[in-house]
Amino acid sequence: MTQHDDRALGRPEVELSVPADGVHLSLLRTAAAAMAARLDFTLDDVEDLRMAVDEAGALLLQQSGDDAMLTFSFFLDGPRLVLRCEVPTPAPRPPRPEGFAWMVLTALASSVEVGLTTAAGASGLSLVLTHPREQDERS
Amino acid sequence: MTDAHRPADPDEGLGDDVKSRTQAAFAELARADDAGRSEARTRLVQLHLPLVEHLAKRFRNRGEPLDDLVQVGTIGLLKAIDRFESDRGVEFSTYATPTVVGEIKRHFRDKGWSIRVPRRLQEMRISLAGATAELNQQLGRSPTITEIAARLDVSEETVLEGLESANAYSTLSLDAPDARSGEGGSMADVLGEDDQALQHVEYRESLKPLLAALEPRDRQILMLRFFGQMTQSQIAQEIGMSQMHVSRLLSRTLARLREGLGDEL
Repeated sequence: MTQHDDRALGRPEVELSVPADGVHLSLLRTAAAAMAARLDFTLDDVEDLRMAVDEAGALLLQQSGDDAMLTFSFFLDGPRLVLRCEVPTPAPRPPRPEGFAWMVLTALASSVEVGLTTAAGASGLSLVLTHPREQDERS
Repeated sequence: MTDAHRPADPDEGLGDDVKSRTQAAFAELARADDAGRSEARTRLVQLHLPLVEHLAKRFRNRGEPLDDLVQVGTIGLLKAIDRFESDRGVEFSTYATPTVVGEIKRHFRDKGWSIRVPRRLQEMRISLAGATAELNQQLGRSPTITEIAARLDVSEETVLEGLESANAYSTLSLDAPDARSGEGGSMADVLGEDDQALQHVEYRESLKPLLAALEPRDRQILMLRFFGQMTQSQIAQEIGMSQMHVSRLLSRTLARLREGLGDEL
């Protein structure tokens, strides 16, 4: 697990913020699938990405503060899609590297990085997922 | 034939002709040899197809194609023919009606959509599954959205919309036992490695009962995807179902586990 360097990502291609509530996950899922389609992902990769959005969303929602907004930012990095998901939370806890959610996320994405902001008044948790998995990439 | 000709009571108006021919066919069914039985059975089906069509039409505005309803209704008819005992003194049509209707209702329960999805999208789901399977075969890999869109001659947005709506397809149908569940030999071999793979998961003590509570097939798919590192397409091929079905089952299984694990995520 590494801390992600935000500056490397530049300006997001698309950024979506929704209230931190599970009912909005489908919107994020569809947006992610649409971005993946633009990058000519295979259906397998698209479905993995959609599942990763669900999993990352569920992880973050668990910790979200009151009235928090869940923000998904999509970055294009050559043939890859980088997805940063973040939510403000009063006491951010990184996911356990031995936990089930982490195992699922790392199986779905080629890399998963955790970002922890603990600054007073601006603490939050973010996950940065890169898709597709290298081994699934076509030549 | 229009509905106006159809009596509300299936017994009435079927005509003495149908009744007597039905009786004759059942009599033959009881005494004939195999060839004769098969012929009598066919005749009984033909005699009562109008009844099935009539019953199927009562369900026609519920989003399933009438042809499908007639087909499942006919399965009900076959069951009724096989179970009917003509010496009970009940008209066959009286006996068959609840069986046919029951079969159609079961179809809705098993195959229905959990939320109302426009017809257009329901058809898209079917086209999508077909195109995906064909392209998978042709390309030797999972197709891209662009390729599926080109094959179906629709926009990429339509394909994406179809994918999203596919997840609304009834979760109940996913519970239906699959035809191949009996022959889990090769799967069991794969699953033999469970414990080894799970060793790295800290919460396997809380995970274990949740995994155990899953349908065997759901657990297989989960294991193959996350521990066997197979793609959805590969799993689909291995298990003999569509990739979209694998996707739905996986999403659902993950949601269940998430729910079960609660804070231990």
